Amino acid sequence: MSPSSRQTTEPGTVRVRLYRFDPETDREPRYDTYDVPHRPRMRIIDVLDHIHDIEAVDFAYRWFCGTKKCGTCAVNVNGSPKLACWEEAECEMTIEPLKNLPLLRDLVTSRDPFEEALATLAPMIARKESYEGFPEPLSAKDMAGGDHLRDCIQCLACQSACPVLQQPGSGFAGPALLVQLSDLAQDPRDHADRARLADEVAQVFKCVSCYECERVCPTGIPIVSEAIEPLKRLVYGKGAVGARRTRAFVEVVKARGYADAARIALKTNGVSLKALRVALRLGRRGKLGLGSVLGDRSAPAAEAIRKAYQSHEDAE
Amino acid sequence: MKRKYAYFPGCSAKGTCRELDISTHAVASLFDIALEELENPGCTGAREFRAVSEQLHLTANGRILALAERIGCDLVAVCDTCLLNLTETNRRLKTDAAAREAVNRALAGERLTFRGEREVKHFLWVLTEDLGERALEERLVRPLRGLRVAPFYGCHLQRPATVYGGERSEETPALDRLCRLLGAETVPYEGADKCCGFHVLGTAEEIAVRMSGRHLTKAKDNGAQCIVTPCPLCHTVFDAYQPSIEQEFHGAFGVPVLHVSQLVGLACGLSAAEVALSRHVVGCDGILAHIGVGGP
Repeated sequence: MSPSSRQTTEPGTVRVRLYRFDPETDREPRYDTYDVPHRPRMRIIDVLDHIHDIEAVDFAYRWFCGTKKCGTCAVNVNGSPKLACWEEAECEMTIEPLKNLPLLRDLVTSRDPFEEALATLAPMIARKESYEGFPEPLSAKDMAGGDHLRDCIQCLACQSACPVLQQPGSGFAGPALLVQLSDLAQDPRDHADRARLADEVAQVFKCVSCYECERVCPTGIPIVSEAIEPLKRLVYGKGAVGARRTRAFVEVVKARGYADAARIALKTNGVSLKALRVALRLGRRGKLGLGSVLGDRSAPAAEAIRKAYQSHEDAE
Repeated sequence: MKRKYAYFPGCSAKGTCRELDISTHAVASLFDIALEELENPGCTGAREFRAVSEQLHLTANGRILALAERIGCDLVAVCDTCLLNLTETNRRLKTDAAAREAVNRALAGERLTFRGEREVKHFLWVLTEDLGERALEERLVRPLRGLRVAPFYGCHLQRPATVYGGERSEETPALDRLCRLLGAETVPYEGADKCCGFHVLGTAEEIAVRMSGRHLTKAKDNGAQCIVTPCPLCHTVFDAYQPSIEQEFHGAFGVPVLHVSQLVGLACGLSAAEVALSRHVVGCDGILAHIGVGGP
């Protein structure tokens, strides 16, 4: 975007509201405002450099390569994570640190939780046979599954945008870790129990499929369809507990020809006081019939639907 | 000219959100739109078929698309997640010959074939794009004057970009525009284009409740009298689970949640009963009083 297109400040100026906070000395965060002279093709990082060099030498931010390789300069700009070295400056920017990561100072967040979590996912190829040396007998087709995943520069923009990670104690690893895990899981040389890691450690089925991670990924990785869903299929294939709702859903649709919400809930979680309360609440408004839970309410064409759907098992 | 579409209501509109199916038909007939409902269409698989196998996902959705092609019309969905599954499959099967052949083999037993001749649309787009704003304005008999509406889009109407490209990136203002056209005021709030959490509701309810509760809080704090959404799954979280949200957030919200077709229907003169407003967990009397309609 050209700064002139949304100009509300003085022409030729970039106005920045900059997040400042040092947890060791400050009681609370503050926002300092700076007007930075605009230059053609100015990037966010150029604006930060200017503020640091001219206005606030004590202000902390981080970057290394400046060319979309190292993944260290991602910050939130007007609420959305961006690589500072790769995006053009907007005429008005509120610049804040990434979310869902511990703050060190100003725009700098700690990568330690990410690195530590990655270490729990056995982040190296676990071979069954010993390594015979280069070249390995691999084709492009063998490695195609994780092809886009290897574009990840670990900038953690996706972790910042993930709404599940905003919930404290969710247990969900988040998209950046799932990209790493999925790359290994789809590597034909790897024989670690990736299904267990995906289900129990990374808790892949807690992904809400909102695609926020894909929206903000600076390298355009289809994170949901190429990292998360292959992991879900792996977990489902092993019959692991995390896939219990998926199993219930498929069984109900195959049996009845449609997704009966109450039946799926019952099959997923069994009977509980909490579930009964919800059922009563919905039943009172005609949203749920007891008949659909207990009785057999198959669609007339359930058999035909089942046969068509069955083809996927024959195909695999 | 009468517009005709193949209509796939989806499992929610036939189950827990039947008011969506009822109000969609009611609004369609107001505008002389014929919706021919698919017979025994099965399910698009929500997020579950895709977590089992790609072939199951493509077959289930390809079957629905083939049924629409047999009718010979574009396909209309009223659920964001169904819309995404169908749009994505339609695009894939149109361009990937091997995938198309595999799906057509699976459908051969029912003499169904996917040919790739039709498009998939949300009913919202039928109203705002095919019908157009002028036709809507002409039928406006009960402008929703002063009603403060918080639009909630749902993820799968707008993301991912790999499916919708840039063409739906302007989608956020579209529902806002529709609400304003109906005479309502739209409430800006953080969260309108975020996620309701429905797809973990069955296994991690607390995550969905906290996520949607946050949006609901922001909408209410900014003065929203109701939420309107094009997705029955978002509706379920905001309406059917609003008592759970209230419990988690220790407060009373009492924010009614309307389907797009209900809001359009009310503004175009339909009664509360005709858009089936009594089938909501959160009562709608407050907004009905505001716009001068008798309760359901």
